[in-house]
Amino acid sequence: MSVRDRLPSGHGNTALLAGIGCLLVGGLFSLTPLQAELPSVLYVFVEVGITFAIYGMLVLGLDLQYGHTGLVNFGHVVFFAVGAYATAMVAAQDTFSGIGLGYPWPLALLVGVIAAALLGVVVSATSIRLRDDFLAIVTLATAEIFHSIFVNFEGIFGGNVGILGVPRPIAGLVGDADTRVVATLLVLGGVTLITLATVTRLTDAPYGRVLRAIRADELVTRSVGKSTITYKTQAFVYGAALAGLAGGLFALYNGAVAPGFFTIQVTVTVWIGMLLGGAANHRAVLAGLAIIMGLRLISRFGLGVTPVSGDVFAALRLVVVGLILVAVIRFRPAGIWGDPQELGVDR
Amino acid sequence: MSLLSADGITKEFGGLRAIDDLSVSIDEGELVGVMGPNGAGKSTFFNCVSGVIPPDNGTVTLRGTDVTGDSPESLAHRGLVRTFQDTRELETMTVRDNVRLAAPDQSGERTLPALLRSDEMKNEEVAVRRRADQLIETFELDHLADEYSSNLSGGQRKLLELARTLMLDPDVLMLDEPFAGVNPTLTNEIADHVRGLNDDGMTVVIIEHELETLTSLVDRLVVLQQGRLLVEGEPGVVLEDERVIDAYLGGDVE
Repeated sequence: MSVRDRLPSGHGNTALLAGIGCLLVGGLFSLTPLQAELPSVLYVFVEVGITFAIYGMLVLGLDLQYGHTGLVNFGHVVFFAVGAYATAMVAAQDTFSGIGLGYPWPLALLVGVIAAALLGVVVSATSIRLRDDFLAIVTLATAEIFHSIFVNFEGIFGGNVGILGVPRPIAGLVGDADTRVVATLLVLGGVTLITLATVTRLTDAPYGRVLRAIRADELVTRSVGKSTITYKTQAFVYGAALAGLAGGLFALYNGAVAPGFFTIQVTVTVWIGMLLGGAANHRAVLAGLAIIMGLRLISRFGLGVTPVSGDVFAALRLVVVGLILVAVIRFRPAGIWGDPQELGVDR
Repeated sequence: MSLLSADGITKEFGGLRAIDDLSVSIDEGELVGVMGPNGAGKSTFFNCVSGVIPPDNGTVTLRGTDVTGDSPESLAHRGLVRTFQDTRELETMTVRDNVRLAAPDQSGERTLPALLRSDEMKNEEVAVRRRADQLIETFELDHLADEYSSNLSGGQRKLLELARTLMLDPDVLMLDEPFAGVNPTLTNEIADHVRGLNDDGMTVVIIEHELETLTSLVDRLVVLQQGRLLVEGEPGVVLEDERVIDAYLGGDVE
């Protein structure tokens, strides 16, 4: 069983190859006249798939922080938002509101990742020594503070309108709408698969062993000579940088950023996805996220056939999500694919 | 010169003075027992020396270097490793991973080699696994190597903790009640292991209540009472000491 003996091998490489494959095919669609035909029924699935790929990077970063290291980050959306805003502001041309500098998008994406990582460094430097629940409060507060800043500093961040006119590299290359969404899904999915391969390599290595030891007992980990503060900071910053990457890619896919895209709902979705699938197992957290996002998708169709109004239906949807979470915690506290012994919930 | 020494260390918790101007010095290759009634400050002494809590006053020296207040991780690098009174296993990890974790200076514990899966890291990991499996076998835990350590019994946990510390190949090993809650057979087994390590040159300091085992094991006994050094010397002599008998039998000491 892979959990028992995490010697380097296995599915990390498959994900890496699959990711590179996706990128190549996506590139093929973008750069050559090759066209994809997409039945209109599938359109919505592809769109949700794109969002899933972006949120997938978020949940993988969160799993590194919480699943492996035990750091409770309730403000994950802030790193997503900072990555997105930084990328958007560096790359945007002729934005209607806020700042747009009009630099090339690869530079903007890099700035987005670095900005999110830097925020991760700042939060770590001040708060990583805090006990779990206090770190949760600090991260939650950080997310709220930044949300207010984005809304209120209109001259810089464009207020509720946000930043418009962000270049869309794939849309710029492909005119045809069907080909465009397919290429986008392939490219973003490829990046997510490569992210999966990367975090898997990290956590399969002795590095991951130290992270899991910190989650189990920090003092013991220190007493066998590991500098736990360094590892906690690194895990936190890596998770933040991944969220920044997701944010930057989101801005470049969406063509605009606004506070409405970065609400606490994002944090809640990735947390539920992680807990549902099973923390500390990268593939499981992605599967959990797929379930929760799939449920939203199905319920979108459900609205048409139920006799209730849209408002009631939205409320019911939340009730169902809540019930699923309660059921998981009650019957499978480690998540669907999580290992109860590894997560210490088997007692 | 002594290998490890504590000079005049003091530690207060609120109004309670847990250790009071305590000076203990341990020579290279010694096997020293620390005893004393409950609340004598044995564990606090261990905590101050091993960097778990900094002393309020006084200095701790390891090989002539002042290490007062150094972190447990830096002391572990300097060769001082300890165990805990309430055995602290990494319960959510397997026995083998518990032991492998402790291997020092693994390049796979840094991001870049871990991501690149460098050959250096792979070779090291093979060596670490071999060494870990040897230790696990030495302590007769090999049938449990893939078990989560939360499934181990109290005695097995003591063995695992010992195996884990030995992975670091320490110069000074500090054991906090290694025989507590362990059956007599296993107690003898652990004592044999400790004696063997000491014979091979490791300096060992043990806190223990189990007097018979301790006195037959150690070269020297240090008796603490109310945070101070009461008596120290050869086990036979110390146990005959009136003050020690009073302290243990609850006689009038003041």
